[in-house]
This record gives sequence, structure tokens and C-alpha cells, in this order.
Amino acid sequence: MSVPLPTDAVRVERVTKTYGGEQPVAALAEVDVQFARGTMTAVMGPSGSGKSTLLHCAAGLDRPTSGRVVVGGTDLSTLSEKQLTELRRDRIGFIFQAFNLVGALTVEQNILLPSRLSGRRPDPAWLAEVIGRVGLGQRLAHRPAELSGGQQQRVAIARALATRPEVIFCDEPTGALDTQTAAEVLALLRAAVDQAGQTVIMVTHDPVAASYANRVMVLADGRIVRDMPQPGVQRIAEQLAMLDRRPQQPPGQQQQQPWRQPFATREG
Amino acid sequence: MLGLAAQMLRHRKGTFVATFLALAAGVVVLTVCGVLVESGLRYQGEPQRYRAATAVIAEHGLAIQGPEHFGERETSTVMLPEPGTVAESLVGEVAAVRGVASAVPDRTIAVAAAAAPKVPVAGHGWASAALAPYTVLSGTAPRAEGEIAVDERLAAAGGLRPGGTTAILTGGTVRQVRVSGVVKASGGQGAQAALFFTDAEAARLYPRPGRVDAIGVIAKKGADEDAVAAAVRRIADAAGANAYSGAERGLAERPAEVAAKSFLLEAGGAFGGYAALIIGFVVAATVGLSVRHRRRDFALLRAIAATPGQVRTLILGEVGMLSLLAAVAGVPLGLLAVRWISGELADRGFVPETFTVSAGLLAAPVVIAAVAAVALLSAWIAARRTTRIRPTEALGEAAVEATLGGRVRVVSGLVLLGAAFVLIIVTGGARGQTAMGAAMGMLYTFVLAIALLAPWINRAAAVALAPVLRAVFGDSGYLAAANLRANARGMVAVLTALVLSVGFGGTIWFLQDNLQHQAVVQSEDGTIAQHALVGGAGLPAAATEQARRIPGVVAATGVRRTSVLVPMMGEAMAVVGQGIDPQGASRTMDLKVTSGKLEDLAGDNTVAVSSSQADSAKWKVGETAALWLGDGTPVKLKVVAIYDRGFGFGDVTLNSRTLAGHTVTGLDDHVLIRSEPGTDVGPALAKLAEAYPGSTATGTGQFTGELAKDLAISSWLNKLLVAVLIGYAVLAAANTLIMAALARARELSLLRLVGVTRRQAKRMANAEQAALLGVALTIGVAIAAVTLSSIVNAVAGQPVPYVPALGWVVVLGGTVALALVSTTIPIGRLLRTPPVEGMGIRE
Repeated sequence: MSVPLPTDAVRVERVTKTYGGEQPVAALAEVDVQFARGTMTAVMGPSGSGKSTLLHCAAGLDRPTSGRVVVGGTDLSTLSEKQLTELRRDRIGFIFQAFNLVGALTVEQNILLPSRLSGRRPDPAWLAEVIGRVGLGQRLAHRPAELSGGQQQRVAIARALATRPEVIFCDEPTGALDTQTAAEVLALLRAAVDQAGQTVIMVTHDPVAASYANRVMVLADGRIVRDMPQPGVQRIAEQLAMLDRRPQQPPGQQQQQPWRQPFATREG
Repeated sequence: MLGLAAQMLRHRKGTFVATFLALAAGVVVLTVCGVLVESGLRYQGEPQRYRAATAVIAEHGLAIQGPEHFGERETSTVMLPEPGTVAESLVGEVAAVRGVASAVPDRTIAVAAAAAPKVPVAGHGWASAALAPYTVLSGTAPRAEGEIAVDERLAAAGGLRPGGTTAILTGGTVRQVRVSGVVKASGGQGAQAALFFTDAEAARLYPRPGRVDAIGVIAKKGADEDAVAAAVRRIADAAGANAYSGAERGLAERPAEVAAKSFLLEAGGAFGGYAALIIGFVVAATVGLSVRHRRRDFALLRAIAATPGQVRTLILGEVGMLSLLAAVAGVPLGLLAVRWISGELADRGFVPETFTVSAGLLAAPVVIAAVAAVALLSAWIAARRTTRIRPTEALGEAAVEATLGGRVRVVSGLVLLGAAFVLIIVTGGARGQTAMGAAMGMLYTFVLAIALLAPWINRAAAVALAPVLRAVFGDSGYLAAANLRANARGMVAVLTALVLSVGFGGTIWFLQDNLQHQAVVQSEDGTIAQHALVGGAGLPAAATEQARRIPGVVAATGVRRTSVLVPMMGEAMAVVGQGIDPQGASRTMDLKVTSGKLEDLAGDNTVAVSSSQADSAKWKVGETAALWLGDGTPVKLKVVAIYDRGFGFGDVTLNSRTLAGHTVTGLDDHVLIRSEPGTDVGPALAKLAEAYPGSTATGTGQFTGELAKDLAISSWLNKLLVAVLIGYAVLAAANTLIMAALARARELSLLRLVGVTRRQAKRMANAEQAALLGVALTIGVAIAAVTLSSIVNAVAGQPVPYVPALGWVVVLGGTVALALVSTTIPIGRLLRTPPVEGMGIRE
């Protein structure tokens, strides 16, 4: 095992991921990338470019077909499913586009869920700070169904921060939110990087969201085609427009026709 | 994890209702079975008449040595259909054992007291009074012919006093006897009141010379009772009888309770095992469904921190808690059900009134543990699938449609289906018991094949029915066809449960009706006598002779009903038989003899058998058949005739002479009488009936009606068991349908938002139901029809089974009711929610 560079929170080394049996589709083709500690990276690209697959592989949610992923010095390919889960629980936080929360549990219970599953007692001072930071102090006893979409995302952020993970992975965290709420959520993520020194890796379509990142990476057909330090909203949008030959489809609209989609569609 | 599981249960009650109902119903069914088995296991009749005896020899079962397999011989024991007896010669042998003070033969004589007709009475010889012992309260013991001593219960009920006279009925005739005394047992009262004759008279009245019902052994004072009991046991074993000592003595004096004991053990055990299996399937299906509906929750748990093991623990925790809740609800209901069922069993004579049903203190915890084990096991199997839930599923909206199933499933399904079709041909070529066995095998194979192929059947039906649905229901039909296609996998449980209910339940249920119907039809067709003299307390042979002498009577046949044991695959099986006086029998009954002659039954050691019995035992006319009479006596009889109407008249017909000494009373049950057309023998028959107390002269039409009633009673238990099974399977189907319907809130809202009217949505749901249930019903009915007609054809030679009109109504009405309750009503409720609100509902 090679000695990881201390500045890298996550290293993706020559990762390939192919789906399907008879006619395999390569979602990622030998991607090599490092994510530095204490930075925020936006991963962008058109639908089907492989950006979600990259996120899943880097976060240990999915296993690459070849290549390896190193999180905080641990090679994920050597871990069993159980060890992988434990690593996610201790070192990784997640924020998804929607359905982040377990409906049966209250806000507080959702936030404490990872600690509860790992059997560890959370640090009460840190917890109070996290809850204060996301502004949910009055809502702890509510259930997710009683919250607005923005509030639900803030609960997810609180949950991701509560265990003080090294890396927070976000998959379209603002995809289902209005502009104002999205800005609040992004500011919280930015604060996690600036104040707590955490690492955020975020898949997004939205150039505005990407403008909160230190670094913007664009994928197309399973390869990294652009990797640039924060270039500004305008430039991001231009880059995307150049790449995207297919009509862009906001993800929110796809979900609403389940009866026309008997088969799985893989997005991202 | 348990805290989390409890929270899941509290918050998402709807998801768990199905599992809870399945478990609670399972607990009720298993509690009933468990308590019945416990009652059978723990029942030990309090010894009363044999209380003073150290040991008792009696015979209630026939031990049969099976064929030798690998140097080991299996012995099976069957309950004797008639009370067994032991050889009187054993009395001397037992009396000679060291430490035995006396060995007392006990002969039980069927008797009725005119003074107290409602009290069940049994007659005995006075010597057996020492076994209780009975003490004389007033008067004396019987000392001469025509004297009896009565116990206080009979004395009180009949107002009998020493010195008085009273009428008793024995051997089919009424006699006046003198009451010599009133006696009292030192122990409690037995099931029957006792009446004592002198020993000489008891021996004369007893219809089985050289035999006795039991031998009671009284040890000398100070003798080693265990040694005496052991020595007696050795003698009993050598004679092929059973010895009872200690608490078992109660069983020796109550053969009916012993039969009930083994009946409860068998029925409760067999059905309980079967029920546990089905409960396992249903619980696994509902747990699987609840897991499928919460796939995203589990994926989220997996993504943010739960190991696969923790998710499994969560599911097991939920099911474990549910089974505790189900036990709380189900056990009391089960205990109530036991009280009802044991009452019904007693009413129908399956168990005697005196049989005590245990409180279930042992059964309840065992049942709770068993249900929890079954539930956890099936939950564990269902939970194993959650390992396949990938955490990334939490990230997207796309629901992954399950594939229809693996290649193994489709191949084994097709192989079984092929085997089932082969079995149709096999059944067609076989007869009697063989055909019955093949047909049941075919039934199982069909149901199993359908269960395996269910996903493909659903899919194929959706495709095939699409044009029909479109034509009948229009746009709603188009949507329905698309939904059916997409949900082919999800509706597997519905198809399987309905095919099981209709195919399996329908076959067993209507088979009972068919057998009954056959018995009645055969009995009606085969009874060519116009009159019957039915004896309430038995008719002596003289009654038949007297009937024959009535002017205008062409023939009269005395018939006694009995059961005999026939060899069946190395064991013995009780079949219904009749003993007849063969003189002129072919003019009163037409058994539809196919080979041989019924008249040949006049010869010694002869037997006539039904064709199905002849087929399964491979007996031919002229050959010797080895069987056992009802009391366990082995006989070798020459087959003189084979007949078709076995259902109406019993599978074995013997000369009454062969049965002499082997039935309780030694009397005929009824006399069939044929008269010349145009002669009126009614008054003469009525006069004849007057001579025999309890007997009546009736037309034979009424007589077969009684037969139908008896058969209905004996098929009651089978029908009850089938009803419980069907009920459970339908519950499973309803559960699946309701859960599936309620999970459609979002889809229905969406449809309405894009312009589908409420009416169209309802029509869509109805079209889906019509197609789904219609296919299940068609397959189920087809399976039931094939199996039933195979069986009925094989055993009765009729290709078209008899199905009562009510049967059709129940099957069709039940399916429609199921559709209404489980889908139409829930969908109707969902459609009342405003669509915009419905869109916000997650699942």
C-alpha cells in the first residue's frame, strides 16, 4: 500500500466502472483524481457523463470494476461490505438530493442515527453547535414529513456534520430547492469547509452551486474533460454549454412518470 | 437496533398490518392445534372401575409388523374400530403369577335400562365389582339368574330399589329383572353407570365366547406391585395385548377416550405442522413485501451507516416484536376457538363428552415460541434479500423493477407442470386408492408448478389480455394492462394464494361432497328393498326370520355395520364393512357385482369386496384375502365377489356369521325388506317393530337420508380444516392486494393530475382486478376440475364431478368479495384524497 499524501482526503486511482452484461457501458474510464483536504469540489457534467458514478465509487457506495479508491489512507478495495459501512459511518457524510431522512424518526433521531448505528455517544457540545448552525433548534421533535424541503436538507447536513466526517459527499444537494433555500444550504456546506476544515465533494448541475466550490471538475463520457480552480458562474455555464450536446434535463422532472418507466434509468 | 425497530413499528403501522394479521391468525390456528395435541398427550382418564386393580390387560390397538427394511422391522399400531378383547385363557395364566391375589375377567355387556333410558349404562359380571371396588349400599349382590345390582347413579335416575323389578334391554330383547341391591364405587363416577349380573349370566349374555374385554389383576397385600405389573405386562405382550398399570388404568376402561386421544394427537399434530408451513410462507411473503415497500429506507440506512447485519437485525427485531403482539392477540382467541371446537367435536362424536380438554398452559408457550421461530426464520430469509439493496438506490428516484425470476425457477416450474400433465394420464389409467394417490400428487404438482411459474403467467396473461382489456374498459383498460405487465412480479403472491385456495381447497372440499354424493346415490340405487326395519338397540337374527315370514315379503336381509382392518402398504387401515345374511341378499340390495356371485357368501370364511378395495389390495375372485375383523382378530377369507357400489355399502361385505363374536352387540343394525309389488306389508312391519324396542319400520328412502347425515358429520372435520386453510390463503392474498393498493397513492394522484378522471382510475383498478383474479380463478378452477374428475372417475366411474350450486356461488362470490375488500375500497379511499396532496405522499 502506498503512503497517501497527507493533503489528500480522497484519491481515485485509475478507476473504471462498467455496467451491463452483454454490451457493457463504461460509466467511468480510468479516472484519476485527488481531492485535497479542506476543499470543496464541484463535479459537473451532462446526464450520463459518469459524475454520480464517480461520487458513488469515491464514497464507497459502489465498487469500481478496476482501479482503487483511497479515503484518508484506507484502500476501499480491501474492505468487506461491513468494514466499508463502518468506514462510511465514521469518516464520510452524505447529503442526497431528496429522501435523505428516515420518515419514522424525528429530526433529532435522524441526526443521531449514524452515532446510534455505530453504538457511539455523540459529543453533546458539538451536536449543539451543529444544530445551532443549521438553525433547527425548534424542530428537533418534528418528523421529516412536517418539514419543508430546505429544512429537510438542513437536517441532512446536520446529520452529515454530526459525526465530524473527513469527507462529505453531496449528490445534487440543491436540486430540489428554490434559489433562496439553495443559497442557505450551500453557505452551510461552505462553512463546514472553512470553519471545520472538512472536505466537500458535490455533484451538481447548477453553475451557481458550483461557484461555491474551490475547484470545478467537468466529466463527459466517463472522463474528466475540465479541471479548473473556481472560474466563476459565467465561465462554468459556458463550459457546460459547450459540452452538452444533448438537451439538458433538470432531474426534478424525470421522476414524475413512474408508470412510463418500468425499467431502471441510470442518471448521471 | 431494537429501539429503532420499535419506532419503525409505531410510526409505519400500515406496513406491518399484513404481517401482524398473518401472525395473529397463525397463532390462533396453532393454539387450537397445540391445545388439542396437549389434551391428547395429557389425557389420562381417572381410573374408576379398575381403581383397586394393580394392573389391567386389555387390547385397544392392533400392532402390525411391517416388512423388514435393512434388518429393522417397523411396527405400526392402529386403533381397533370395534372394542378389542383378550383371550379368557389368560385369566388362569395371570392368576398364577407370584403375588397376584386374583385375576378377574371383565365382560362389558351392551344394555339399556327402560327405567332410565337417558343414562348410558354398561352391564358387567359381579366378580368385576371387586376391581373398583363396589360396596353394597342396600340389598345384596346379584345371586341368581334374572337378578341385577345397580349403582347409585342408575338407582337414583330410574327410581330403582332392592326388591323391585324393572325392564332391561339386552341382546335386542326386553326382559324383566329383579333388582337385588344398590351398590356404590369407592372412587368417583365413571363415564357410564354400572349394572351387575351374576357372572354366569354375564358370560351367557356376552356375545364373544372365550373372550373377555379386560382382565383386572389384584395383588396380594404386601406384594411388590411393580413386580406384579411387570409380570402381567410380559404375559400381555406375549399375547399381543396391552397391560395398563398406575395412572394408565383409566385408559383401559375407556376405549373411546383412548381413540379420542390418538385422534387428537394425529389430527392436531398433522394439521399443526401443515399450518406452520403455510404460516411460514405467508409471513415470508408479507415481510418480503414490507421490505420491498421500504427499500429506499433501507438503502438510506445502508448508505449513511448501517451494516447489512444491522439492517437484518432491524427487520428481525420488527418481526420478533410483531410476533409477541400477535401472541397477545392470538392466544386468547385461540383458547376461545378451542372451547368451541372441542364442543363441536364432542357433538359429532369425534371425542366423547367425558373427554377433558386441557387449559393449554403447556401449549400456549410452545405455540408462541413456535410462531416466533417460524416468523423469525421466514423474516430472516426475506431479510437476506436486503443485502442486495445497494446503498446507491437511496440516491436516485428510479425504482428498480425486479426481474421475473431465475432460470432455475422457470425450468423447475416447467418440469413440474410437465409432470402434472403426465400424472393426469397416470390417474386416468389407475383405479381405487392408487388413483386417489396419483390424483393428490397431481394436485400438489400443479399448485407447486403454478407457484413457481407465477411471474411468467402474470406477465403472459397481461400481454394476452391487453387487447381484451382495451376493448372492454377503453383507456382505463390500456393503463390496466400496462400496470399488470409492470407488476407481474409483485402480484405473484395473489396468484399463488388464489390458485391454492381454489385449486387445492376446492378439490378437497368438493371431494367430500362428491364422496358423500356417491355414497348416497349408490346407496339409493343399490337398495332395491322398499322397507327397512331400523333397530335402535340392535336386532337379533330372529327379526330377519320373522320379516321373511310376513306374507308378501320376497326377501329380508339383516345388515350389521362394522369396520374391518385391511392391509395397506405394510400397515392396516380401517374401512367400512357390513355383515349380511346372504340368503336372498341379491333381491334386497344390488351391489353391482362385477365378478363372482354374492350368493356365494353363504359359504364359510367368505368375503365380497368393492372393486376399489380389490384393486388396491390386488384381490381377485377365488383368492384368499387376509384381513382383520374390527376387534383385531386376523381372518383369512375367500373372495367370492367383487362389486362396484363400495361407497354406498362399504368396501367389505361379510357373512354375519363371520362377524359373530367380534362386534359389541352381535346384533343387526337394520333389516332390509323387499315385498311383492302391490302388497301392503306396512302394518305387519309396524307390528314387528313393536316387538323390538327402539326399532322403527321405515321406507328405504328415509333410510338413505340418514346415511347422508352421518357422512356429513364425518366430513365436517375435513371441511373445517380446508376452510381454515382457504381462509388463511385468502387472508394472504387480501394482505398483498391491500398493501399494493395503498402503495399507489402517488401514482393515482399523478394519473389524475395528467387528466385521468376518478371514474377512469376506478375503472382501471377494476380492470386490473378482473384480469388478475380472473386468471387466478380460471387456473384454480381448471386444476380443481381436472383433479376432481380424475378422482371421481377413478373411484366411482363418473367423469363429471358433482359440485353443489352453493359451491359455485361461494367460490365466485368469495373472489368478488376479495376484490372489493382488498382493492376497490382502498383505491376508492385513495381517490378521495385531492391529487395535489397525494403527490406529496412518499410511498
